[in-house]
Amino acid sequence: MSESTNPRPVLDVIDLVVHFRRRARRDVVRAVDGVSFDVARGEILALVGESGCGKSTIAMAVARLVAPTSGRIVIDGTDVTSVGGRALRAIRRRVQMIFQDPFGSLDARQTVFETVAEPIRIHRLARDPEDRRRRVMAALDQANLRPPERLAQRYPHELSGGQRQRVAIAAAMAVGPELVVADEPVSMLDVSARAGVLRLMMEGRDRLGVSYLFITHDLATAWVVADRIAVVYLGRIVEIGPSPELVAHPAHPYTSALLAVAGGEEHDGPVLPGEAPSAAAVPSGCRFHPRCPRYVLAGEPAICRDEDPTLHIRGAGTGPAHRVACHLAQQDPMEETK
Amino acid sequence: MSLLEIRDLRIDYRTESGVLRAVDDVSLVVERGDAVGVVGESGCGKSTLGLAIPLLLAPNATVAGGSIRLDGTSIADLDERQLNRLRWTTVSFIFQGAMNALNPVQRIDQQILEAIRIHEPETSTATARARVVELLGLVGIAPSRAASYPHEFSGGMRQRAMIAMALACQPALVIADEPTTALDAISQDQILQLLRDLRRRRGQGLIMISHDLAAITRVCDRIVVMYAGVIVETGTTADVLGRRDAALGTIHPYTRALLDAHPDLHGPRVLAPGLSGHPPDLARPIVGCRFADRCAHATDHCRAVAPALVAVSRDHDVRCHFAVAERVT
Repeated sequence: MSESTNPRPVLDVIDLVVHFRRRARRDVVRAVDGVSFDVARGEILALVGESGCGKSTIAMAVARLVAPTSGRIVIDGTDVTSVGGRALRAIRRRVQMIFQDPFGSLDARQTVFETVAEPIRIHRLARDPEDRRRRVMAALDQANLRPPERLAQRYPHELSGGQRQRVAIAAAMAVGPELVVADEPVSMLDVSARAGVLRLMMEGRDRLGVSYLFITHDLATAWVVADRIAVVYLGRIVEIGPSPELVAHPAHPYTSALLAVAGGEEHDGPVLPGEAPSAAAVPSGCRFHPRCPRYVLAGEPAICRDEDPTLHIRGAGTGPAHRVACHLAQQDPMEETK
Repeated sequence: MSLLEIRDLRIDYRTESGVLRAVDDVSLVVERGDAVGVVGESGCGKSTLGLAIPLLLAPNATVAGGSIRLDGTSIADLDERQLNRLRWTTVSFIFQGAMNALNPVQRIDQQILEAIRIHEPETSTATARARVVELLGLVGIAPSRAASYPHEFSGGMRQRAMIAMALACQPALVIADEPTTALDAISQDQILQLLRDLRRRRGQGLIMISHDLAAITRVCDRIVVMYAGVIVETGTTADVLGRRDAALGTIHPYTRALLDAHPDLHGPRVLAPGLSGHPPDLARPIVGCRFADRCAHATDHCRAVAPALVAVSRDHDVRCHFAVAERVT
């Protein structure tokens, strides 16, 4: 199943399904509906998609904050899908999470020092208080919160949005994780503050070999930051591949639509009609077919309405594979390369 | 006579840490059919500026100087009743969170109908009903969905309903504050397209306020860049974007940072440097250029003397000591 060249990925997600039963409406929301991917050591994988596509639910399942309906989550060779107690605590150190809202995720009554020291204390990583202080200062320094001695005394409300998010990163990195799950870490920050936070993530990968699962709605940022991109639509990965390859040669029409919008290209008329259907009413066959321009162009073939496409490999290159779930992907190579 | 003429506007907020000047000496002219984008980051004063035009400012805000003229009328001279009428018939507002701006317990078509009937008592019910149908069609809401409640709509549909509502009394000027911020990329694209089409077809004036320069450039033909309460650059969209790769002095370093902040899928696959630090505290006196602390080019002169807004070409002004006028040929 593993796609990366490394024999043992840091994270291997196999056939992940997360369904939520809504009693009041007597229906089932298929938030994550059969998703498989892996993340290699020192790799940044971006999950890109629009709100409600299930990307955040995937992140929460990986961080063990929501229970999967079925499927497996394997961290560095260990199946963690249903571990608890001490084993779960060990996982919690190795898999850290960074959230969208740095104001909501930091305790307003704790100083920066206390915020960063807490995970070190919980995971008993420091020999003594002096060692703990050293670790906190090092983490702050690495997160560009300088001078660390002064920043450590501040409270969240005294910091800018960018600084708060860097405190959250410092706290996550202080315990030496192997995988960081970052759910829209910059979308609430001012544009000029975003680069600093993203650069920290990239430094963590380059210097410490930390892996990231980077959740974002922003394809252009994913392209720059991530090694590979997985495009998520209505609970499924519809396309996955190395970032430069996926952006240069999108194979799925949904990826092409996201690219047209993200690239700011002049276009008359919206790139896609309508809106994504509810995950409680997933269309038959290919779940994208009701909005798919390629389906219309191809004369509405029955296969798109009847058969659920699986991810298949495109091209024969070396390195990580480029996969797409589209019945018509091979038939229209000219439009794909654009 | 211009549709909107703002001269030397100053707006102060009383806060716990003292008086804060959120908008400082801002001048802006919008003609009929113009689309002007006001861009800047949180706290730059762009939303305060928008709210000041129909005088919808928060209770702790005061207009400390300058004037706002709508269609030649100074809004400072109007009483509350006249202002209320003006707010729908001359200028209307599209807010960021459409869910909070729409009435949750009233059907969409009823809300628009009511807006017309309250603000245009002389309009007959039949005419008003016909206009509701036309407005909903204009923003792409099918007649079969017109009788829905706001919660039955997605975010994009609610924003469309909000736009129909803002157009209900055929205002000459529409102010849209972050109209796409809460939406997804595809819905954002649809709404931007809609705003563009509406302007072309109806000739309204539009002020679009956003932190998203890319969104603004898709809709607006003129850009106003605000930083720490002042305009640091203003010009046509083509002029400002055209200076993207030009030398310092023809574009403000802050505008360039905003332009570079978002990766360009057609450019190199690298992260822009971004800006360190944050804007100055507006409750304290500011000496020199407000951007100096975050500017890679700042000199002692920049830190000591505040620059003026200077013309670098016809209809393109930059507030920077390095700004140089282009040679006119």
